[in-house]
Amino acid sequence: MKKKTFKSIIRIILLIIFFVFAIFPLYWIILTSLKPTHELYSFPIRYWTNNPSLYGYKKLFEFVNFQRYFLNSIIVSLSASFVSTIFAMLSGYILSRGEFKWKYPIILFLFFSQMIPTYLIMVPQYTMFLKLNLINKLASLIIIYSGFGAAFSTIMAKGFFDRIPRSIEEAALIDGCNEVQSLFKITLPLMVPGLSAILSFSFVNNWNELFTAVMFLNTSDKYTVPVGLYSIVSKAGVQWNVLAAGIVIALLPTIIVFAFAQKYIISGLTQGSLKD
Amino acid sequence: MKKRKFIFFMLLPTFLLILFIIFYPTISGVLLSFKNYSLFNFKNIEWIGFDNFKEIFSDPFYGNIIWNTVKWVVFSVFFQLILGFILALLMKEPFKGRGIYAGFVFYPWAISGFAIGLSWSWLLNGQFGVINDILMKIGFINEGINFLSDPSLAMFSVILVNVWYGIPFFAIMILASLQTVPDSLYDAAEIDGAGYFTKLFHITIPYIKPTLINTILLRTIWIMNFPDIIYGMTRGGPAGSTEILSVKMINTVFYESDYSKAAAHGVVIVSILFIYTIMYLRLTSKQEFSL
Repeated sequence: MKKKTFKSIIRIILLIIFFVFAIFPLYWIILTSLKPTHELYSFPIRYWTNNPSLYGYKKLFEFVNFQRYFLNSIIVSLSASFVSTIFAMLSGYILSRGEFKWKYPIILFLFFSQMIPTYLIMVPQYTMFLKLNLINKLASLIIIYSGFGAAFSTIMAKGFFDRIPRSIEEAALIDGCNEVQSLFKITLPLMVPGLSAILSFSFVNNWNELFTAVMFLNTSDKYTVPVGLYSIVSKAGVQWNVLAAGIVIALLPTIIVFAFAQKYIISGLTQGSLKD
Repeated sequence: MKKRKFIFFMLLPTFLLILFIIFYPTISGVLLSFKNYSLFNFKNIEWIGFDNFKEIFSDPFYGNIIWNTVKWVVFSVFFQLILGFILALLMKEPFKGRGIYAGFVFYPWAISGFAIGLSWSWLLNGQFGVINDILMKIGFINEGINFLSDPSLAMFSVILVNVWYGIPFFAIMILASLQTVPDSLYDAAEIDGAGYFTKLFHITIPYIKPTLINTILLRTIWIMNFPDIIYGMTRGGPAGSTEILSVKMINTVFYESDYSKAAAHGVVIVSILFIYTIMYLRLTSKQEFSL
């Protein structure tokens, strides 16, 4: 009995350490974003502020066009996630339900497409899009992110479809539905948690993408949030509360999405990559 | 016949997109590495054979970059794995609020690497950084450490941050597979009088080995291809002490604007990854690798 309590105390202590280690940087950035400028570089370092100020946020929206970046990021991330999720839904369904010769090579192909570093293909993509007259347009990012997303989302979608028992569809077929009807009326409603997980996962990835966006966008009215942050950092003499405010704004959407969808994202991720 | 058509059209959109966005550019990227395309040479693009590669390999700092990359990948994966494993073991037994706890400890994984790098460069700041302050308060050090401007510490610092970022991924994957270990195995071992570590090394680890093998492979590839954190913290500096292959490639695009040379860097990276993947799969294939 004594041994058991000792073990559970160790366990609780370790759980707390992991928690503090994970959460402290977030706390610190939020605190920094709310500190008035004179407290930023003062000694001793203050772990709390008694006069929180929105100066950092105000400056951010005045100094750089951050609301524009935010809107651009929303447009790009949402459209690309929707496109790739819809594509992944179709191909994931077939890879889960269909029986055909090329099934396993196709799954392998999807995995290998994950291994190619984005920045190797960045320059050739740039030349391609230059010919299509799509440089410095949000559309180019939407297309590229959809492509990257489609590969991984398909693998996730297949994992989710695999968990829906085939017998449910077969029952619907017997009841007189055709295949398309059974897909839309029976299977897809059961896939809603899975699809929202895939959608959120792609959204997080798209929202965070930096290097392709830096390469493709060259006027500030087209910047996405990461490119905006990148450009702020390149400017000398930015105060840390302004930059921290930028970081908080950049984190906010993904943290919210992750908080709501983490349970599904996690199960989808493990399904997708553990078993085919 | 109708069914085959159906399969074809369901797969078509995804595959056209992937071919267009990933595979065609990969091939032209490889071809590009044998040409002389740069910001200063747009018109007369020619085939120059292995010149770009010769130039890369004759860089006196190249050995250093490779060594940095090895350190970055090996230490990051190792500590992410160990700490992620410990976190997963701690979370295996249900406790009150486990779902909320998971949300908090797993969130770093949802943030952009660049933003993480920036945040930590502030936390690790030599003068105003909170980490220095904490270390001094607990009496660990007497004066501030220049984590990012001291070349001998910069690599340690970026790896630390990458470990912080990567623990959740390992924890998530391992936690999921821990749930699949049948309790009966533990019960039997307990009857034989096995202790905690005996069970861990003789039941848990062998049982979840396929997951470990998969996750380590995926992570190694991703970490090698992941310049974001380093970019947010040091951009490869100071004095090249955190320059890894992927950072070098990005710098070649953004600062030198030599696109063919950058592509050659990319080809080197992909070749290393390819050889690594094949060797890794060979070595572990006896361990029932399941994709």
